[in-house]
Amino acid sequence: MKKRTFSITQIFLACFFLITVVLPMLAMLANLRSADIGKIVTDKYFGIAALNSLKVSATATLISITLAFLLAWCMTRTRVKGKGIFGAIIVLPMLIPSMSHGMGLVILFGKNGQITNLLGLTHSIYGFWGIVIGSIMYSLPVAYLMIADILRYEDSTPYEAASVLGIPKINQFFSITLPYIRKPMISVLFATFTLIITDYGVPVMVGGKYNTLPLMMYNEVIGRLNFSQGSVIGIVLLIPALIAFLFDLFSKDTRSSNFVPKPFALKKSLIRDIFSYLLLIVTSISFLYPIITFAGLTFNKKYPSDLSFSMDNIMNTLNKGAGNFLVNSIIIALAVSMIGVAVAFICAYLTARTKGWPARVLHLMSILSLAIPGLVLGLSYVLFFKGSFIYGTLTILILVNTVHFFASPYLMIYNSLGKLNMNLEDVGLTLGIKRFHVICDVIIPQSRVTLIEMFTYFFVNSMITISAVSFLSTAMTKPLSLMITQFQQQMLLEASAFVSVLILAVNLLMKAIAYLVRYFIHRKENNYHVNKKTV
Amino acid sequence: MESLKVIDISKKFGEKSALQNVSFDVKSGEFLSILGPSGCGKTTLLRILIGLLPPSSGEIYMDNQNITHAPPDRRGMGIVFQNYALFENMTVLRNVEYALKLKKDKKAAARETALHMIDLVGLAEHASKKPSQLSGGQMQRVAIARTLALSPDIILFDEPMSALDVATRLTLRKELKKIQATTGTTMIYITHDQEEAFAMSDRIMVMNESVIHQIDTPEKIIQNPADAFVRDFVIHNLAEKAESLAKFHLA
Repeated sequence: MKKRTFSITQIFLACFFLITVVLPMLAMLANLRSADIGKIVTDKYFGIAALNSLKVSATATLISITLAFLLAWCMTRTRVKGKGIFGAIIVLPMLIPSMSHGMGLVILFGKNGQITNLLGLTHSIYGFWGIVIGSIMYSLPVAYLMIADILRYEDSTPYEAASVLGIPKINQFFSITLPYIRKPMISVLFATFTLIITDYGVPVMVGGKYNTLPLMMYNEVIGRLNFSQGSVIGIVLLIPALIAFLFDLFSKDTRSSNFVPKPFALKKSLIRDIFSYLLLIVTSISFLYPIITFAGLTFNKKYPSDLSFSMDNIMNTLNKGAGNFLVNSIIIALAVSMIGVAVAFICAYLTARTKGWPARVLHLMSILSLAIPGLVLGLSYVLFFKGSFIYGTLTILILVNTVHFFASPYLMIYNSLGKLNMNLEDVGLTLGIKRFHVICDVIIPQSRVTLIEMFTYFFVNSMITISAVSFLSTAMTKPLSLMITQFQQQMLLEASAFVSVLILAVNLLMKAIAYLVRYFIHRKENNYHVNKKTV
Repeated sequence: MESLKVIDISKKFGEKSALQNVSFDVKSGEFLSILGPSGCGKTTLLRILIGLLPPSSGEIYMDNQNITHAPPDRRGMGIVFQNYALFENMTVLRNVEYALKLKKDKKAAARETALHMIDLVGLAEHASKKPSQLSGGQMQRVAIARTLALSPDIILFDEPMSALDVATRLTLRKELKKIQATTGTTMIYITHDQEEAFAMSDRIMVMNESVIHQIDTPEKIIQNPADAFVRDFVIHNLAEKAESLAKFHLA
């Protein structure tokens, strides 16, 4: 009986992934048949865009990873104060759409940009360097989080042993640090590269005439409804993501998840800490400055010449429908978070706590979305769901975002369920406690913090995404993030700045709520401990 | 008086045989140890006894009733795992009373029964603590109390003390025997520690490579080992341990 409900759930989830991932991707591959691939790929403009994409992404990735490594090092291996604040500022850009980073550059360094005018610059930001700088701002926080995680879990014991043996620092780096970070750093490299090469938000803002593949794909599909050319570019964009995915799949961390690293004892070093402060402060200013500018454009009468407070701009933008689009975005984000958390939990429960090949297949399906860039997923949905009853509704936007952002939250809960005692269900069976009760009363309460983290992840990413939704939304269902391009094309800089501020505010609110909930959970548990001691 | 009768149980995982024609009886109120090196099939046997794993062939009877295919909670058995498997989010009291509260007939007296069991395992003053605040030995007592609360006829122990330090083990051994004396519960105890088996058991079942080598009282096993394996694995190791213990005492 229990076995049967189990396999029914598994069949249901298999169908879910079949319809939401496998069939759309097949539809896109099928669409290639009608395309003259040879002609498209040898086309001069395609070649230029491909080369541009490679150059921009390679440059931005290298700089981004280097900076991210330095920042992560400052945050984990130095004694700088205010790490909490610096840490929050570094990840702030993750709360706004990639387009906003491009727009920030335009406002500051564009043809009529504030800093351009102020310093009388003649060199234009549009083109290669614009995209590179925008992409760095967009990808740096993600790379930073991944690298900080690697450094935080490095064990200090080998270094202590090496120091006792009198091995010089430089040799320690090559024989301890490098072997430890090599594999995870390659993962970070692939992930960052994929993130940058598949984004069209930055190039659409500061690209100027500099064409890249995702931008070309976006224009072909949106502007000329040329789906076959879009599909070909989509397949090309799939390649780096697929390589990253396969690399991660085959270089699994073999270390036990229960391993507790010995933290580093940090010695005093003035030079090190001064350098760290400098880097952290410069980064913080570069991240905060565009956001302050957005706020200025939003709330001031005429930024930066007339700084008096005014609601005109906000009212104007709301009159253009921003309120409706905000509602769309919030509905989508909440629905994605709730459905995503539920489906990811059920999937991870089956894959982390049952054995056999169905569990392994389901696990692979669950992380497959890592290998599909948002634009590609979006186009595959257009080709597969066109004409169906969900096409053109909010439902399809909710569905595509749930699938697009599924892998990361799934892995969060997969890891945390894998760490819970594997005999819990057996104990339940022998004590006559139904599996349902074990899940509700034992497993979910112990996963609360992870579930909140997952909810926030789905929510924030649904608020900022511009990729998968761009081909699927209509004038009615459009999420707020997509208004940035529209307003910018109409030269309404203030309006698009306000949209960025609005998205940031909603996401900050979400983060604050999540923080409070975690805080109360924590306090409840601690109170418990205090009470106990007095008993 | 027989309480558990195991007849000709075999278990195969694919081509690999984990248990071959295992048959034995356990008397009511007996303390039986199953002793063998890791991988000998003792944990597989335990999981088949309680119904977490179906046997490939063979039958299990409890008081003359065939329970080979009965669900785990309908066998009158409880199990205590090596890694405790406590409900970490619940207090000691909640851990013990939780299963009772889900049962209609035991719901009313749940709190009372739970407190009694917690008292029996000597954790009365820790009832409102959470598992994370307890020592390993204390956590294992909670697991024992949780199992006892449903008043099973037989409790199965899967190497319950191998994660504990020597001193805790010695205390817990004595208390387990005391609990058995109070409740009269039959206990089947898996271990790879010869000394533990000899110190606690009424009878010992020596297993290796999926078959039973000997099943007898500790004295008879020492006087009359069935074969070379029993002599090597049990008696030789026991003698070595006694020797090192003696040296320790001399020093």
